[in-house]
Amino acid sequence: MNRRLIATSAVGVAMALGLTACGGESGGGDGGGDSKTVKLVAADYGDKKSNASKIYWEDVAKRFEAANKGYQVDVEVINWNDIDNKVKAMIQSGNVPDVLQTGGYADKVADDLLYKRSDVLSPATEKKLIPSFAKAGESDGTAYGIPFVSSTRLLFYNKEIFKKAGVAEAPKTWDEVKEAAQKIKDKKAADTPYGLPLGPEEAQGESMIWELGNNGGYTDESGKYTINSKANVETFSWLKDNLVKPGLTQPNPASTDRKTMFEDFAAGKLGMLNGHPTLIQMAKDGKVDYGVAPIPGKTGPLESTLGVADWMMAFKDGKAKKAAVKKFLDFAYAKENMLKFDEMYHLMPVTQEVADTMASDPKFKTLKPFTDVAGGAKFYPLGDTTWDAVSSEIKKSGGKAVVDPKQTLDDLQKKAEAAAEDQ
Amino acid sequence: MSATVSKTTDRGSGGRPPRRRSGRGILARLGPLPWIAPAVLLIAVVVLWPIYELIRTSFLKISTAGFVRGSAGTDKYKQLFEETDFAQVITWTVIWTVVVVGVTMLLSLGLAQLFNQNFPGRTVTRWALIAPWAASVLMTAIGFKWMLDRTAGVLNTLMMDLGIIDQSKDWLGQPGTAWPWMMFVAVFVSLPFTTYTLLAGLQTIPHDVYEAAKIDGAVGFKTYLHITLPLLRPAFLVGFVINLINVFNSFPIIWGMTKGGPDSDTATTTVYMFQLKSTDIGESAAMSVVNFAMVVVLVLIFLKVSRWNKED
Repeated sequence: MNRRLIATSAVGVAMALGLTACGGESGGGDGGGDSKTVKLVAADYGDKKSNASKIYWEDVAKRFEAANKGYQVDVEVINWNDIDNKVKAMIQSGNVPDVLQTGGYADKVADDLLYKRSDVLSPATEKKLIPSFAKAGESDGTAYGIPFVSSTRLLFYNKEIFKKAGVAEAPKTWDEVKEAAQKIKDKKAADTPYGLPLGPEEAQGESMIWELGNNGGYTDESGKYTINSKANVETFSWLKDNLVKPGLTQPNPASTDRKTMFEDFAAGKLGMLNGHPTLIQMAKDGKVDYGVAPIPGKTGPLESTLGVADWMMAFKDGKAKKAAVKKFLDFAYAKENMLKFDEMYHLMPVTQEVADTMASDPKFKTLKPFTDVAGGAKFYPLGDTTWDAVSSEIKKSGGKAVVDPKQTLDDLQKKAEAAAEDQ
Repeated sequence: MSATVSKTTDRGSGGRPPRRRSGRGILARLGPLPWIAPAVLLIAVVVLWPIYELIRTSFLKISTAGFVRGSAGTDKYKQLFEETDFAQVITWTVIWTVVVVGVTMLLSLGLAQLFNQNFPGRTVTRWALIAPWAASVLMTAIGFKWMLDRTAGVLNTLMMDLGIIDQSKDWLGQPGTAWPWMMFVAVFVSLPFTTYTLLAGLQTIPHDVYEAAKIDGAVGFKTYLHITLPLLRPAFLVGFVINLINVFNSFPIIWGMTKGGPDSDTATTTVYMFQLKSTDIGESAAMSVVNFAMVVVLVLIFLKVSRWNKED
């Protein structure tokens, strides 16, 4: 009895040790396992069970397996809140996926974890990518990131609220934004005149949109961080004094997430805000009569708005053969698959053929204003290997810039410089 | 030669000839070890090993992608102590712990006294007090979060309907109102345990002590101060120290209600450690180590206090 107990616990310990040992084994090496099974980790774009991304990817996997005998795809879909941390844990334990679809890629380039784009994408597929997005996938002149979906930002406004408040047309400058918001407030036409989501969900997006309006941004031409530039401090000081303090935005922008603001807009409680195509469907569902307009800048509407792309990438240390990964990616980037995904989540295409199809199909009419501005859109410094670290700092504390502009931006700049030095 | 033989049998490492006899001998010599071994192993695997990993990680340089780039020395600790938010987080952790534990103990003393009286419906109310304890803390926190919600919250609706406020308030959006609300929830979930601990303590106080006091002329509050409180000390101290550790480490309430935001304005050290995870795992581990050290101090106080109880 005793002996058995000891034996059992010994086996237990051995197993525990064995399990931990497994984690450390892979890593190193310069390319490709020999498995025909491709492990895919992807983010979940769905907001309910019926449109979970798992359904999409499993369908793609099934059709891929049917078309390529002997190959297999393992699908793991993770929600947006967890995906960064889970992927980090996978990398830390040396248990990387073969293919990853998520928000950023460059931080993985810094540690030399990714295949070059041309290694895992056939020339035919690579040529299909829209040039501006393809370019954004480059880090230091070499392409690693494969754009997967994209979106651009425009100003959404509630036509009914504008009418009630006596605002004739969408504002074009910051002063007009203030004026329109004041009218909405005075006439009590909406709970919140202007929605300013600077909470952790996407502070880096909303901040950049406003900074672009004053010819600012996160980096200068040479790629150095300029988060606390004069233009940026000025931008947030303006926001603080003209929109936040007079109560023309929702209270506490620093703790309001975009999702909440979108919901408020779809519920008809919000006058205007910067949004992306997902809001189209939400507004429609909420029976809100909305309009879209170019985003107001300090002296006139933005010439180039913020463009955001999500990325696909392939890991060198995955267990699958390079050829298998390539086969799968070429399959996933086929027109019908890309179109299906974009349609499912109201996102914008990254390949020219899908863009052309959408342009000619009246079904996608509402998306047109967004695709029209995609060509000239400005991106985050995506190719900068420190961007992901800087972006998470901005997500965390960037919203406080409307409370204490100089201090917050100085602090972020310091962190960004430290990150850049660390590379 | 004989010496070596006897040595091997001593160690019991499997000398073949004397096996029959030594089988029992070894087990006897091992005493209770085989029985507690699984528990010890379990502790080693789920407690000691993670602590080792934690401390090791705090000295590593890990990239944002999660790639280990080598040793960081004490850089991560330096980085942590230099964070602009650090001092503020520590201050709030102390305020949070003191206020929540203090208010909880005071209210529980009153509640325990109440539940120790005989009144109709006592059983029902005693059961009702368990509810906040039985419910998951995270669930309670999320429940309160939605009650306090700016647009959909029942509190704003109620206050607006009653005309107390004319515009819905974002209670959890700014530290000034978020802290009091979170402290309220923390007290709310800590009350049941503390009250029951004190109630149990009250019930161990023999009745004749009170009778004797009565004969000596002690009445009302004087009895409470000089008889009840001193005799309640063991239960009080246990409740106090366990609450101290619990509240200090409290994660679900703050995470469920504000996630420590905006920025780290409503974060205690435990929540701050979690926030750091998304920017720097090494620094986050350093915060954990500091946090762990503080818990160890609290535990030592607890051990000291419980020994003091026994000696008394």
